[in-house]
Amino acid sequence: MVFKRGNRVEVFQASTDEAWESYMNDFIGAHGVITDPDSSINDPDDLIEVSLQGKGTHRLPQDCLRLLDETTG
Amino acid sequence: MAKDTCPVQSTLQYLSERIASGVLTDPKVRRICESIRMLVEEISLGEAGDGHMAAIDDLMTEFENRTPDDEAVKTRDHLKQVLSDHREVFVSHIETRNCPSHDCGVIAPSPCQMACPAGIDVPTYLALIAEGKDDQAIAVIREDNPLPWVCGLVCTRPCEMMCVRGRIDTPISIKFLKAFAAERALSDRRYINPKPAPPNGKRICVVGAGPGGLSCAYYLALMGYKVDVIEALPFAGGMLMVGIPRYRLPREVIDREVAMIEDLGVTFSFNTRFGKDVTYEDMKDSGTDAFFLAIGAHKAWDLGIKGETDFPKVIDAISFLKNVAIGDRHAPGKHVVVIGGGNVAIDAARTSLRLGAEKVTIAYRRSREQMPADIEEVEQAEEEGIAFSFLTIPTQIAGDGGIITGLACIKAELIAKKGTDRLAPVPILGKEFTIQADAVISAIGQYVDDTGMTAFDAVNWTRRGTIEVNHASMETSMPGVFAAGDAVSGPATVIEAIGGGKRAADAIHRHLTGMPQPRMPKIPVRRRKVPMIEMTAAEKMRLSRPSMPMLNVDRRRTTFQQVELGYDEAAVRKEARRCLRCDVCRRCGKCVEICRDKMGIDALHLGYLDFDHPVKTDFRMTAENCITCGACAANCENNAMTLEEKDGKRMLKLCGTILNEQEIQTCDSCGAKLPSAQYMAYILDKTADLTQKAERRLLCTDCQRKLSAKNHVPTRPVNPA
Repeated sequence: MVFKRGNRVEVFQASTDEAWESYMNDFIGAHGVITDPDSSINDPDDLIEVSLQGKGTHRLPQDCLRLLDETTG
Repeated sequence: MAKDTCPVQSTLQYLSERIASGVLTDPKVRRICESIRMLVEEISLGEAGDGHMAAIDDLMTEFENRTPDDEAVKTRDHLKQVLSDHREVFVSHIETRNCPSHDCGVIAPSPCQMACPAGIDVPTYLALIAEGKDDQAIAVIREDNPLPWVCGLVCTRPCEMMCVRGRIDTPISIKFLKAFAAERALSDRRYINPKPAPPNGKRICVVGAGPGGLSCAYYLALMGYKVDVIEALPFAGGMLMVGIPRYRLPREVIDREVAMIEDLGVTFSFNTRFGKDVTYEDMKDSGTDAFFLAIGAHKAWDLGIKGETDFPKVIDAISFLKNVAIGDRHAPGKHVVVIGGGNVAIDAARTSLRLGAEKVTIAYRRSREQMPADIEEVEQAEEEGIAFSFLTIPTQIAGDGGIITGLACIKAELIAKKGTDRLAPVPILGKEFTIQADAVISAIGQYVDDTGMTAFDAVNWTRRGTIEVNHASMETSMPGVFAAGDAVSGPATVIEAIGGGKRAADAIHRHLTGMPQPRMPKIPVRRRKVPMIEMTAAEKMRLSRPSMPMLNVDRRRTTFQQVELGYDEAAVRKEARRCLRCDVCRRCGKCVEICRDKMGIDALHLGYLDFDHPVKTDFRMTAENCITCGACAANCENNAMTLEEKDGKRMLKLCGTILNEQEIQTCDSCGAKLPSAQYMAYILDKTADLTQKAERRLLCTDCQRKLSAKNHVPTRPVNPA
């Protein structure tokens, strides 16, 4: 899945990536907007910046995210 | 207590229920609980001061000495437990005027503020800019970001992505308003540093003078630390200076804001490479108490294609942009091909053009839609004459005798790889072609250069080649060593580095004063509560985002003058007034529900309130059906929706926007103020079968009742007894 700036997403699961920190478990279920996707090489391994409703802005692994609405993509 | 509910809000609800239920029968206990409830409510509303916790403690001591019955004991023990387990949450509410869980809605930050990696209080500074208070706006911004002018020109503006106004028409132009305010405040000589705390005798070494290092140095200096910044380049700014071209960010802008930081006593050592010119031991010997690593990501990835190392005119974009920033003004070639699709590729292409290249082509292996570069940057590059070759995979740099003649490429198609819906560029056999070139610039990404970091041998590095930190505190695995910026995130944004530097400054202070580190990154802090701006619904809807005046294209193709010329003052003030003030209205939708479902009126067309599925909004339509009954305002927890009386009119306002105004009527009989004619008609319709209509007279309820009673008297049976 390729995430683009402005996509609405949901943190639907914990990531298995080493960048996943324990406090990020609080984000599961949160909705947000991609504010800075992988900015160089469209790498699925990149951490991408997501602004989560009520949780602030964080850089997260992509495997914890899914698109909320395909039409926004 | 519910697991995820804010302890402040839960305590407020608990005490309200205990008091209302009547179980607290002892008058003194009841008085103590009512006093604590009042204090907790003020904490919840963001109105508490320094003495609130002490006052609660005193009341709890009093409570300890008076426990006349089981219910009082139960209440006291519950309060004692909550105040013990969650004391820091209460204190945090008082200090930050924020409720991280949003349960205390009145003090929750707005989406734009939450979106900002530095947590700037956007609605507050926009309201100040709208009123022409640019210096106050800059003071608010600098509580979270010491580089407002820089960010006003180059920020990737995640705030605008989350701007609620964007659900109605277009997001507020937050970035450019910030730049205007900074420039105006400087021009007025009112851009001033806050007064730093007295020196605390502690010394911090900041490695790297990029945005992360500058941010950390600024906040540490304000807290009274002595800060030494070590920088390998001959100036401060890091990637701001050597990665972003001058036509986007003039050097003077960086220099002025760096000078402000220097004025706080921060010392800079330029042309000094850490680990070579100055060592970890040197800094420790000079009394350094903690280190902050903000070394950036300055190394370029190799292309990995044939010919890459055979020609001097194969250049990486980072080195190219750096050399130009330092003063090189030679075109890399006549026919330049830039490989990559990010902002760095666009910057390298536009810089090549300005240096005199005849033709500049950006070769990108994916489609235009997938380019990670900002759309505005891509459009500006196209306006200037940059060519794009999409779905283009470079295969070889061809040439002869050290001179490049072309870039051999193959056309690609995007195909989803097995097991994923992610499209990957795949070469189409037989579709080889060559782009004429005498210089090739690679811009396919950067990584962290760890040269000189060997002394920090206990610092862990991630598999991505970045410094591993706990993101709540930006602390590395080596005690007393902190890090932020691109060195931690990989190549990312200026505002993210600034936010990381600020968080690290706070964490360093906690580390050196023995305070515990936070469990998770702190929620942004609301800095002020500024009044809302009154305007009509028509004006609020009519205002539109201004277009940016641009330098003419000929000058853009030949000089490094700033391309975006900035808004004029009138446009800035108007644009700031377009803000919806989401720091006040938290879009709970209760007003819409009450109006539609309880009153059956459905006057509020506020489709923007829904985050996931916003529908049409038109503030002007409220007046068509609204009866100014005030039910929406009465149920608004945040006082975002208000019903006010002014100049003989009753006005319904949403964050200052007048949704409806109706004449205030008076009772024909006693002169008392009445609801609007529409509301009276609504009530009469609802009660027509119960109450006799007042014929054609306007009467208050008291006079109506008297009239009804009078009319009923003759019909009453008379008891002859």
